[in-house]
Amino acid sequence: MKTASTISVILHAAVLAWGLVSFTGKSFEVTPAESMPVDIISSEQFSQLTKGVKEAPKTATPKPLVEKKAEPKPAEEVTPKISEKKEIAASASSPPVPQAKPAESKAEQQPDQIAEALKKEEKKPLPPQRPARQDPKFDANKIAALLDKRAPQRSAATGETLNSAPSLGAASGNAARLSQTELDALRARLMALWNPPVGLKNPEEYIIRIRMLLKPDGRLQAPPMVLSSGKGSQFDSARDSAIRAIFRGQPFDMLKKETYETWKDVEITFDPRDMFRG
Amino acid sequence: MNPADVAQSVLPLTSSDLSLFALFWQAHWIVKTVMIGLLLCSVWVWAIALDKTVLFARTRRSMDRFEQAFWSGQSLEELYRTLSAKPSHSMAALFVAAMREWKRSFESQSRSFAGLQMRIEKVMDVTIAREVERLERRLLVLATVGSAGPFVGLFGTVWGIMTSFQSIAASKNTSLAVVAPGIAEALFATAIGLVAAIPATIFYNKFASEVNKQAQRLEGFADEFAAILSRQIDERG
Repeated sequence: MKTASTISVILHAAVLAWGLVSFTGKSFEVTPAESMPVDIISSEQFSQLTKGVKEAPKTATPKPLVEKKAEPKPAEEVTPKISEKKEIAASASSPPVPQAKPAESKAEQQPDQIAEALKKEEKKPLPPQRPARQDPKFDANKIAALLDKRAPQRSAATGETLNSAPSLGAASGNAARLSQTELDALRARLMALWNPPVGLKNPEEYIIRIRMLLKPDGRLQAPPMVLSSGKGSQFDSARDSAIRAIFRGQPFDMLKKETYETWKDVEITFDPRDMFRG
Repeated sequence: MNPADVAQSVLPLTSSDLSLFALFWQAHWIVKTVMIGLLLCSVWVWAIALDKTVLFARTRRSMDRFEQAFWSGQSLEELYRTLSAKPSHSMAALFVAAMREWKRSFESQSRSFAGLQMRIEKVMDVTIAREVERLERRLLVLATVGSAGPFVGLFGTVWGIMTSFQSIAASKNTSLAVVAPGIAEALFATAIGLVAAIPATIFYNKFASEVNKQAQRLEGFADEFAAILSRQIDERG
Protein backbone atom coordinates (compact mmCIF):
# COMPACT_ATOMS: atom_id res chain seq x y z
CA MET A 1 0.00 0.00 0.00
CA LYS A 2 2.84 2.35 0.79
CA THR A 3 4.42 2.02 -2.61
CA ALA A 4 1.08 2.43 -4.29
CA SER A 5 0.47 5.64 -2.33
CA THR A 6 3.85 7.00 -3.26
CA ILE A 7 3.30 6.20 -6.89
CA SER A 8 -0.10 7.84 -6.77
CA VAL A 9 1.26 10.98 -5.14
CA ILE A 10 4.03 11.19 -7.69
CA LEU A 11 1.54 10.72 -10.52
CA HIS A 12 -0.70 13.50 -9.25
CA ALA A 13 2.22 15.81 -8.71
CA ALA A 14 3.32 15.17 -12.26
CA VAL A 15 -0.15 15.85 -13.64
CA LEU A 16 -0.43 19.04 -11.60
CA ALA A 17 2.97 20.22 -12.73
CA TRP A 18 2.03 19.56 -16.33
CA GLY A 19 -1.23 21.41 -15.76
CA LEU A 20 0.59 24.40 -14.30
CA VAL A 21 2.68 24.63 -17.41
CA SER A 22 0.10 23.91 -20.06
CA PHE A 23 -3.22 24.94 -18.56
CA THR A 24 -3.45 28.59 -19.27
CA GLY A 25 -6.45 30.48 -20.48
CA LYS A 26 -5.57 31.63 -23.92
CA SER A 27 -7.40 34.74 -24.82
CA PHE A 28 -9.51 34.44 -27.88
CA GLU A 29 -8.20 36.09 -30.97
CA VAL A 30 -10.83 38.68 -31.60
CA THR A 31 -10.68 40.13 -35.04
CA PRO A 32 -12.24 43.53 -34.92
CA ALA A 33 -15.48 43.24 -36.76
CA GLU A 34 -16.69 46.11 -38.81
CA SER A 35 -19.12 47.88 -36.63
CA MET A 36 -22.56 48.55 -37.94
CA PRO A 37 -24.14 51.52 -36.23
CA VAL A 38 -27.74 50.86 -35.37
CA ASP A 39 -30.08 53.39 -33.96
CA ILE A 40 -33.16 52.20 -32.19
CA ILE A 41 -35.98 54.61 -32.62
CA SER A 42 -39.53 54.40 -31.54
CA SER A 43 -42.35 54.41 -34.01
CA GLU A 44 -43.15 57.89 -32.83
CA GLN A 45 -39.71 59.06 -33.72
CA PHE A 46 -40.01 57.34 -37.05
CA SER A 47 -43.17 59.19 -37.84
CA GLN A 48 -41.43 62.38 -36.79
CA LEU A 49 -38.75 61.58 -39.29
CA THR A 50 -41.13 61.01 -42.13
CA LYS A 51 -43.28 63.92 -41.23
CA GLY A 52 -43.16 66.56 -43.83
CA VAL A 53 -42.81 70.24 -43.08
CA LYS A 54 -44.96 72.68 -44.91
CA GLU A 55 -42.36 75.39 -44.81
CA ALA A 56 -39.55 73.12 -45.88
CA PRO A 57 -37.46 74.76 -48.55
CA LYS A 58 -37.92 73.41 -51.97
CA THR A 59 -34.73 71.76 -52.88
CA ALA A 60 -33.67 71.55 -56.41
CA THR A 61 -33.34 68.23 -58.06
CA PRO A 62 -29.93 66.72 -57.57
CA LYS A 63 -27.29 68.19 -59.76
CA PRO A 64 -26.20 65.92 -62.48
CA LEU A 65 -22.67 64.73 -62.36
CA VAL A 66 -20.84 65.72 -65.45
CA GLU A 67 -18.06 63.66 -66.79
CA LYS A 68 -16.86 65.88 -69.51
CA LYS A 69 -16.85 69.58 -69.50
CA ALA A 70 -17.16 71.76 -72.50
CA GLU A 71 -13.90 73.11 -73.72
CA PRO A 72 -13.39 76.58 -72.32
CA LYS A 73 -13.85 79.14 -74.99
CA PRO A 74 -10.67 80.97 -75.87
CA ALA A 75 -10.65 84.24 -74.09
CA GLU A 76 -11.34 87.25 -76.26
CA GLU A 77 -8.31 89.26 -76.91
CA VAL A 78 -8.46 92.27 -74.71
CA THR A 79 -5.91 94.25 -76.47
CA PRO A 80 -7.26 95.75 -79.60
CA LYS A 81 -5.43 95.00 -82.71
CA ILE A 82 -3.28 97.72 -83.78
CA SER A 83 -4.33 98.81 -87.17
CA GLU A 84 -2.01 100.14 -89.74
CA LYS A 85 -4.02 103.26 -90.02
CA LYS A 86 -3.69 104.18 -86.47
CA GLU A 87 -0.04 103.51 -86.53
CA ILE A 88 0.37 105.79 -89.40
CA ALA A 89 -1.69 108.39 -87.71
CA ALA A 90 0.36 108.05 -84.57
CA SER A 91 3.64 108.09 -86.36
CA ALA A 92 2.77 110.82 -88.79
CA SER A 93 2.20 113.17 -85.91
CA SER A 94 0.06 115.35 -88.10
CA PRO A 95 -3.64 115.72 -87.27
CA PRO A 96 -5.91 114.52 -90.05
CA VAL A 97 -7.96 117.02 -91.86
CA PRO A 98 -11.47 116.20 -90.56
CA GLN A 99 -10.20 116.17 -87.04
CA ALA A 100 -8.50 119.41 -87.47
CA LYS A 101 -11.62 121.24 -88.41
CA PRO A 102 -13.46 120.96 -85.16
CA ALA A 103 -10.24 121.41 -83.40
CA GLU A 104 -9.72 124.61 -85.19
CA SER A 105 -13.22 125.77 -84.45
CA LYS A 106 -12.73 124.84 -80.85
CA ALA A 107 -9.33 126.24 -80.86
CA GLU A 108 -10.83 129.62 -81.30
CA GLN A 109 -12.35 129.25 -77.91
CA GLN A 110 -9.69 127.23 -76.18
CA PRO A 111 -6.81 126.99 -78.47
CA ASP A 112 -4.15 126.25 -75.96
CA GLN A 113 -5.72 123.32 -74.19
CA ILE A 114 -6.42 121.22 -77.19
CA ALA A 115 -3.19 121.99 -78.80
CA GLU A 116 -1.37 120.97 -75.72
CA ALA A 117 -3.37 117.82 -75.35
CA LEU A 118 -2.65 116.92 -78.90
CA LYS A 119 0.95 117.59 -78.42
CA LYS A 120 1.06 115.42 -75.36
CA GLU A 121 -0.46 112.58 -77.19
CA GLU A 122 1.96 112.91 -79.96
CA LYS A 123 4.85 112.76 -77.61
CA LYS A 124 3.70 109.54 -76.01
CA PRO A 125 5.43 106.73 -77.75
CA LEU A 126 3.16 103.90 -78.55
CA PRO A 127 4.31 100.71 -76.85
CA PRO A 128 4.71 97.83 -79.21
CA GLN A 129 1.63 96.00 -78.02
CA ARG A 130 2.15 92.74 -79.76
CA PRO A 131 1.11 89.80 -77.58
CA ALA A 132 3.31 86.75 -77.91
CA ARG A 133 1.32 84.36 -79.98
CA GLN A 134 0.80 81.02 -78.26
CA ASP A 135 1.69 78.17 -80.47
CA PRO A 136 -0.75 75.29 -80.03
CA LYS A 137 1.40 72.89 -78.12
CA PHE A 138 0.88 69.17 -78.31
CA ASP A 139 -0.32 67.80 -74.97
CA ALA A 140 -0.47 64.06 -74.69
CA ASN A 141 -2.76 64.26 -71.66
CA LYS A 142 -5.52 65.86 -73.62
CA ILE A 143 -5.74 63.19 -76.25
CA ALA A 144 -8.36 61.25 -74.32
CA ALA A 145 -10.44 64.35 -73.86
CA LEU A 146 -10.12 65.22 -77.48
CA LEU A 147 -11.17 61.78 -78.54
CA ASP A 148 -14.23 61.83 -76.29
CA LYS A 149 -17.02 62.60 -78.68
CA ARG A 150 -19.77 62.45 -76.09
CA ALA A 151 -21.81 65.46 -75.35
CA PRO A 152 -20.12 67.52 -72.70
CA GLN A 153 -23.18 67.83 -70.52
CA ARG A 154 -23.85 64.10 -70.36
CA SER A 155 -24.94 63.29 -66.83
CA ALA A 156 -23.49 60.40 -64.94
CA ALA A 157 -24.53 58.79 -61.72
CA THR A 158 -25.93 61.30 -59.38
CA GLY A 159 -25.79 59.33 -56.17
CA GLU A 160 -23.12 61.45 -54.63
CA THR A 161 -25.01 64.60 -54.93
CA LEU A 162 -28.37 63.25 -53.95
CA ASN A 163 -30.36 65.52 -51.80
CA SER A 164 -30.21 64.75 -48.11
CA ALA A 165 -32.24 67.66 -46.86
CA PRO A 166 -35.73 66.95 -45.57
CA SER A 167 -38.34 66.97 -48.24
CA LEU A 168 -41.82 68.25 -48.10
CA GLY A 169 -42.87 64.80 -46.94
CA ALA A 170 -46.06 62.93 -47.46
CA ALA A 171 -49.32 64.78 -47.46
CA SER A 172 -50.26 63.39 -44.07
CA GLY A 173 -46.95 63.16 -42.45
CA ASN A 174 -47.49 61.25 -39.32
CA ALA A 175 -46.76 57.85 -40.82
CA ALA A 176 -50.27 56.98 -39.99
CA ARG A 177 -51.88 53.64 -40.08
CA LEU A 178 -55.54 53.03 -39.72
CA SER A 179 -55.81 51.57 -36.32
CA GLN A 180 -57.83 48.48 -35.82
CA THR A 181 -60.12 50.25 -33.43
CA GLU A 182 -61.00 52.93 -35.98
CA LEU A 183 -61.63 50.35 -38.63
CA ASP A 184 -63.68 48.27 -36.24
CA ALA A 185 -65.71 51.25 -35.18
CA LEU A 186 -66.44 52.06 -38.79
CA ARG A 187 -67.40 48.49 -39.51
CA ALA A 188 -69.55 48.29 -36.39
CA ARG A 189 -71.54 51.37 -37.39
CA LEU A 190 -72.11 50.11 -40.90
CA MET A 191 -73.10 46.71 -39.64
CA ALA A 192 -75.58 48.22 -37.26
CA LEU A 193 -77.20 50.09 -40.11
CA TRP A 194 -77.18 47.25 -42.57
CA ASN A 195 -80.23 45.05 -42.79
CA PRO A 196 -79.61 42.09 -45.00
CA PRO A 197 -82.58 39.97 -45.91
CA VAL A 198 -83.36 37.56 -43.14
CA GLY A 199 -83.19 33.81 -43.60
CA LEU A 200 -80.68 33.57 -46.38
CA LYS A 201 -79.89 30.05 -47.38
CA ASN A 202 -76.35 30.59 -48.55
CA PRO A 203 -75.07 33.62 -46.74
CA GLU A 204 -71.65 33.31 -48.37
CA GLU A 205 -73.30 34.35 -51.64
CA TYR A 206 -74.35 37.64 -50.18
CA ILE A 207 -70.99 39.01 -49.20
CA ILE A 208 -70.86 42.56 -50.45
CA ARG A 209 -67.60 44.43 -50.80
CA ILE A 210 -67.97 48.14 -51.20
CA ARG A 211 -65.27 50.68 -51.86
CA MET A 212 -65.74 54.14 -50.44
CA LEU A 213 -63.88 57.31 -51.24
CA LEU A 214 -64.09 59.66 -48.33
CA LYS A 215 -63.46 63.28 -47.71
CA PRO A 216 -61.41 64.48 -44.76
CA ASP A 217 -64.58 65.37 -42.87
CA GLY A 218 -65.69 61.76 -43.00
CA ARG A 219 -68.28 62.18 -45.70
CA LEU A 220 -68.47 60.39 -48.98
CA GLN A 221 -66.49 61.92 -51.76
CA ALA A 222 -68.27 59.90 -54.40
CA PRO A 223 -71.03 57.31 -54.45
CA PRO A 224 -69.83 54.02 -53.07
CA MET A 225 -68.68 51.40 -55.54
CA VAL A 226 -69.91 47.86 -55.22
CA LEU A 227 -67.07 45.49 -55.97
CA SER A 228 -68.75 42.15 -55.55
CA SER A 229 -71.43 40.85 -57.75
CA GLY A 230 -74.22 38.38 -57.35
CA LYS A 231 -77.58 37.58 -58.74
CA GLY A 232 -81.06 37.45 -57.48
CA SER A 233 -83.33 39.94 -55.90
CA GLN A 234 -82.10 39.05 -52.46
CA PHE A 235 -78.57 40.00 -53.40
CA ASP A 236 -79.87 43.24 -54.85
CA SER A 237 -81.73 44.08 -51.71
CA ALA A 238 -78.73 43.24 -49.56
CA ARG A 239 -76.52 45.41 -51.76
CA ASP A 240 -78.96 48.30 -51.68
CA SER A 241 -79.23 47.99 -47.97
CA ALA A 242 -75.45 48.15 -47.65
CA ILE A 243 -75.32 51.27 -49.81
CA ARG A 244 -78.09 52.82 -47.77
CA ALA A 245 -76.19 51.96 -44.61
CA ILE A 246 -73.16 53.80 -45.91
CA PHE A 247 -75.17 56.84 -46.79
CA ARG A 248 -76.93 56.88 -43.47
CA GLY A 249 -73.80 56.24 -41.54
CA GLN A 250 -71.91 59.32 -42.63
CA PRO A 251 -70.19 61.32 -41.43
CA PHE A 252 -67.83 58.70 -40.16
CA ASP A 253 -66.48 60.76 -37.36
CA MET A 254 -64.75 57.85 -35.69
CA LEU A 255 -62.00 58.17 -38.26
CA LYS A 256 -59.38 60.58 -37.12
CA LYS A 257 -58.44 63.38 -39.38
CA GLU A 258 -54.73 62.80 -38.88
CA THR A 259 -54.98 59.42 -40.50
CA TYR A 260 -56.93 60.58 -43.50
CA GLU A 261 -54.33 59.23 -45.85
CA THR A 262 -55.19 55.71 -44.77
CA TRP A 263 -58.94 55.90 -44.87
CA LYS A 264 -59.66 58.12 -47.77
CA ASP A 265 -60.06 54.99 -49.81
CA VAL A 266 -61.41 52.02 -47.84
CA GLU A 267 -63.03 48.77 -48.68
CA ILE A 268 -65.72 47.45 -46.41
CA THR A 269 -66.95 43.91 -46.51
CA PHE A 270 -70.53 43.26 -45.52
CA ASP A 271 -70.76 39.65 -44.54
CA PRO A 272 -74.16 38.32 -43.46
CA ARG A 273 -72.51 35.51 -41.54
CA ASP A 274 -70.97 38.07 -39.20
CA MET A 275 -74.42 39.48 -38.63
CA PHE A 276 -76.11 36.30 -37.70
CA ARG A 277 -73.26 35.00 -35.67
CA GLY A 278 -73.79 37.94 -33.45
CA MET B 1 -15.25 53.20 -18.09
CA ASN B 2 -13.93 50.03 -19.51
CA PRO B 3 -15.61 46.98 -18.01
CA ALA B 4 -12.29 45.23 -17.73
CA ASP B 5 -10.99 48.07 -15.62
CA VAL B 6 -14.02 47.86 -13.40
CA ALA B 7 -13.43 44.18 -12.98
CA GLN B 8 -9.83 44.73 -12.09
CA SER B 9 -10.53 47.44 -9.60
CA VAL B 10 -13.66 46.18 -7.90
CA LEU B 11 -13.38 42.44 -7.92
CA PRO B 12 -10.51 41.02 -5.99
CA LEU B 13 -11.02 37.57 -7.39
CA THR B 14 -11.18 38.37 -11.02
CA SER B 15 -8.10 38.71 -13.04
CA SER B 16 -6.92 37.81 -16.44
CA ASP B 17 -4.56 35.24 -14.98
CA LEU B 18 -6.26 31.91 -15.53
CA SER B 19 -3.49 29.46 -14.86
CA LEU B 20 -4.19 26.40 -12.76
CA PHE B 21 -2.50 27.81 -9.72
CA ALA B 22 -4.18 31.18 -10.06
CA LEU B 23 -7.56 29.49 -10.35
CA PHE B 24 -6.90 27.77 -7.08
CA TRP B 25 -5.33 30.70 -5.31
CA GLN B 26 -8.08 33.19 -6.07
CA ALA B 27 -10.83 30.92 -4.80
CA HIS B 28 -12.78 31.33 -1.61
CA TRP B 29 -11.37 29.29 1.26
CA ILE B 30 -14.32 26.93 1.23
CA VAL B 31 -13.75 26.24 -2.42
CA LYS B 32 -10.06 25.81 -1.68
CA THR B 33 -10.87 23.25 0.99
CA VAL B 34 -13.10 21.40 -1.41
CA MET B 35 -10.41 21.39 -4.04
CA ILE B 36 -7.73 20.15 -1.69
CA GLY B 37 -10.04 17.49 -0.31
CA LEU B 38 -10.89 16.28 -3.77
CA LEU B 39 -7.25 16.26 -4.75
CA LEU B 40 -6.43 14.11 -1.71
CA CYS B 41 -9.32 11.84 -2.61
CA SER B 42 -7.95 11.46 -6.08
CA VAL B 43 -4.52 10.62 -4.72
CA TRP B 44 -6.02 8.07 -2.37
CA VAL B 45 -8.19 6.56 -5.09
CA TRP B 46 -5.25 6.04 -7.37
CA ALA B 47 -3.16 4.60 -4.56
CA ILE B 48 -5.90 2.09 -3.78
CA ALA B 49 -6.35 1.31 -7.43
CA LEU B 50 -2.67 0.60 -7.95
CA ASP B 51 -2.51 -1.45 -4.79
CA LYS B 52 -5.57 -3.49 -5.67
CA THR B 53 -4.47 -4.08 -9.22
CA VAL B 54 -1.22 -5.54 -8.01
CA LEU B 55 -2.97 -7.54 -5.27
CA PHE B 56 -5.55 -9.07 -7.56
CA ALA B 57 -3.02 -9.94 -10.19
CA ARG B 58 -0.84 -11.62 -7.63
CA THR B 59 -3.75 -13.48 -6.06
CA ARG B 60 -4.94 -14.76 -9.39
CA ARG B 61 -1.50 -15.96 -10.32
CA SER B 62 -0.93 -17.71 -7.02
CA MET B 63 -4.35 -19.34 -7.21
CA ASP B 64 -3.48 -20.71 -10.64
CA ARG B 65 -0.20 -22.03 -9.34
CA PHE B 66 -1.80 -23.58 -6.30
CA GLU B 67 -4.55 -25.27 -8.24
CA GLN B 68 -1.98 -26.67 -10.59
CA ALA B 69 0.00 -28.04 -7.64
CA PHE B 70 -3.15 -29.32 -5.93
CA TRP B 71 -4.44 -31.26 -8.92
CA SER B 72 -1.04 -32.50 -9.97
CA GLY B 73 -1.40 -35.60 -7.81
CA GLN B 74 1.02 -34.42 -5.19
CA SER B 75 0.42 -35.75 -1.71
CA LEU B 76 -1.75 -33.37 0.29
CA GLU B 77 0.37 -33.98 3.37
CA GLU B 78 3.41 -32.85 1.50
CA LEU B 79 1.64 -29.82 0.12
CA TYR B 80 0.48 -28.98 3.58
CA ARG B 81 3.97 -29.22 4.93
CA THR B 82 5.37 -26.81 2.33
CA LEU B 83 2.57 -24.30 2.70
CA SER B 84 1.74 -24.40 6.39
CA ALA B 85 4.71 -22.33 7.41
CA LYS B 86 3.49 -19.30 5.52
CA PRO B 87 0.26 -19.48 3.59
CA SER B 88 0.91 -16.60 1.23
CA HIS B 89 -2.36 -16.35 -0.65
CA SER B 90 -6.02 -16.93 -0.22
CA MET B 91 -6.44 -20.40 -1.66
CA ALA B 92 -3.41 -21.71 0.16
CA ALA B 93 -4.72 -20.22 3.36
CA LEU B 94 -8.00 -21.98 2.77
CA PHE B 95 -6.25 -25.28 2.17
CA VAL B 96 -4.00 -24.89 5.19
CA ALA B 97 -6.90 -24.04 7.48
CA ALA B 98 -8.87 -27.07 6.36
CA MET B 99 -5.87 -29.37 6.60
CA ARG B 100 -4.99 -28.11 10.05
CA GLU B 101 -8.44 -28.90 11.31
CA TRP B 102 -8.30 -32.32 9.66
CA LYS B 103 -4.92 -33.08 11.15
CA ARG B 104 -5.91 -31.89 14.58
CA SER B 105 -8.90 -34.16 14.58
CA PHE B 106 -6.86 -37.11 13.46
CA GLU B 107 -3.84 -36.59 15.63
CA SER B 108 -5.78 -36.02 18.82
CA GLN B 109 -6.40 -39.11 20.95
CA SER B 110 -10.16 -38.92 20.86
CA ARG B 111 -10.32 -39.21 17.05
CA SER B 112 -13.48 -37.23 16.92
CA PHE B 113 -14.96 -37.88 13.50
CA ALA B 114 -18.45 -37.07 14.45
CA GLY B 115 -18.46 -33.32 13.65
CA LEU B 116 -15.33 -33.22 11.55
CA GLN B 117 -17.09 -32.55 8.27
CA MET B 118 -18.99 -29.67 9.73
CA ARG B 119 -15.97 -28.27 11.46
CA ILE B 120 -13.92 -28.30 8.30
CA GLU B 121 -16.62 -26.51 6.36
CA LYS B 122 -16.95 -23.91 9.08
CA VAL B 123 -13.23 -23.30 9.13
CA MET B 124 -13.18 -22.93 5.39
CA ASP B 125 -16.14 -20.54 5.44
CA VAL B 126 -14.40 -18.36 7.95
CA THR B 127 -11.23 -18.39 5.91
CA ILE B 128 -13.10 -17.47 2.75
CA ALA B 129 -14.82 -14.63 4.54
CA ARG B 130 -11.50 -13.39 5.84
CA GLU B 131 -9.86 -13.60 2.42
CA VAL B 132 -12.71 -11.83 0.69
CA GLU B 133 -12.62 -9.16 3.34
CA ARG B 134 -8.91 -8.72 2.64
CA LEU B 135 -9.57 -8.45 -1.07
CA GLU B 136 -12.29 -5.89 -0.83
CA ARG B 137 -10.77 -3.78 1.87
CA ARG B 138 -10.76 -0.07 0.93
CA LEU B 139 -13.02 -0.70 -2.02
CA LEU B 140 -15.67 1.25 -0.14
CA VAL B 141 -13.46 4.30 -0.39
CA LEU B 142 -13.62 4.04 -4.16
CA ALA B 143 -17.38 3.71 -4.07
CA THR B 144 -17.72 6.69 -1.79
CA VAL B 145 -15.45 8.92 -3.82
CA GLY B 146 -17.13 7.81 -7.00
CA SER B 147 -20.56 8.73 -5.79
CA ALA B 148 -19.83 11.73 -3.61
CA GLY B 149 -16.99 13.32 -5.56
CA PRO B 150 -19.15 15.08 -8.14
CA PHE B 151 -21.42 16.39 -5.43
CA VAL B 152 -18.53 17.76 -3.45
CA GLY B 153 -17.15 19.36 -6.57
CA LEU B 154 -20.54 20.76 -7.39
CA PHE B 155 -20.74 22.21 -3.93
CA GLY B 156 -17.48 23.98 -4.53
CA THR B 157 -18.77 25.26 -7.84
CA VAL B 158 -21.99 26.50 -6.41
CA TRP B 159 -20.17 28.26 -3.65
CA GLY B 160 -17.73 29.81 -6.09
CA ILE B 161 -20.47 31.01 -8.38
CA MET B 162 -22.34 32.37 -5.39
CA THR B 163 -19.38 34.46 -4.32
CA SER B 164 -18.70 35.55 -7.86
CA PHE B 165 -22.26 36.68 -8.25
CA GLN B 166 -21.95 38.60 -5.03
CA SER B 167 -18.93 40.31 -6.49
CA ILE B 168 -20.87 41.08 -9.64
CA ALA B 169 -23.63 42.58 -7.59
CA ALA B 170 -21.10 44.65 -5.72
CA SER B 171 -19.45 45.90 -8.89
CA LYS B 172 -22.79 46.54 -10.62
CA ASN B 173 -21.32 45.30 -13.83
CA THR B 174 -22.40 42.24 -15.72
CA SER B 175 -20.02 42.14 -18.60
CA LEU B 176 -18.58 38.76 -19.40
CA ALA B 177 -15.12 39.92 -18.41
CA VAL B 178 -16.38 40.30 -14.86
CA VAL B 179 -18.33 37.07 -14.72
CA ALA B 180 -15.97 34.75 -16.52
CA PRO B 181 -13.04 34.44 -14.09
CA GLY B 182 -15.26 33.68 -11.13
CA ILE B 183 -17.18 31.05 -13.05
CA ALA B 184 -14.03 29.49 -14.46
CA GLU B 185 -12.60 29.22 -11.01
CA ALA B 186 -15.82 27.76 -9.66
CA LEU B 187 -16.04 25.22 -12.44
CA PHE B 188 -12.51 24.16 -11.62
CA ALA B 189 -13.90 22.61 -8.43
CA THR B 190 -16.33 20.48 -10.42
CA ALA B 191 -13.54 19.50 -12.75
CA ILE B 192 -11.45 18.21 -9.88
CA GLY B 193 -14.47 16.42 -8.47
CA LEU B 194 -15.03 14.64 -11.76
CA VAL B 195 -11.34 13.88 -12.12
CA ALA B 196 -11.47 12.16 -8.76
CA ALA B 197 -14.85 10.49 -9.22
CA ILE B 198 -14.60 9.04 -12.69
CA PRO B 199 -11.58 6.80 -12.07
CA ALA B 200 -12.97 5.89 -8.67
CA THR B 201 -16.23 4.66 -10.19
CA ILE B 202 -14.49 2.75 -12.94
CA PHE B 203 -12.04 1.11 -10.56
CA TYR B 204 -14.75 0.27 -8.09
CA ASN B 205 -16.80 -1.56 -10.69
CA LYS B 206 -13.78 -3.39 -11.98
CA PHE B 207 -12.57 -4.45 -8.55
CA ALA B 208 -16.01 -5.39 -7.29
CA SER B 209 -16.44 -7.82 -10.13
CA GLU B 210 -12.91 -9.09 -9.57
CA VAL B 211 -13.60 -9.74 -5.89
CA ASN B 212 -16.77 -11.56 -6.82
CA LYS B 213 -14.93 -13.77 -9.26
CA GLN B 214 -12.18 -14.66 -6.82
CA ALA B 215 -14.64 -15.34 -4.02
CA GLN B 216 -16.54 -17.73 -6.26
CA ARG B 217 -13.35 -19.43 -7.19
CA LEU B 218 -12.46 -19.85 -3.50
CA GLU B 219 -15.87 -21.24 -2.74
CA GLY B 220 -15.64 -23.65 -5.59
CA PHE B 221 -12.33 -24.88 -4.36
CA ALA B 222 -13.64 -25.11 -0.82
CA ASP B 223 -16.54 -27.29 -1.96
CA GLU B 224 -14.28 -29.55 -3.91
CA PHE B 225 -11.84 -29.88 -1.08
CA ALA B 226 -14.64 -30.53 1.39
CA ALA B 227 -15.88 -33.32 -0.85
CA ILE B 228 -12.44 -34.88 -0.96
CA LEU B 229 -12.04 -34.69 2.79
CA SER B 230 -15.53 -36.04 3.33
CA ARG B 231 -14.68 -39.05 1.21
CA GLN B 232 -11.53 -39.57 3.24
CA ILE B 233 -13.48 -39.37 6.47
CA ASP B 234 -15.98 -41.91 5.31
CA GLU B 235 -13.23 -44.25 4.15
CA ARG B 236 -11.31 -44.04 7.42
CA GLY B 237 -14.25 -43.92 9.72
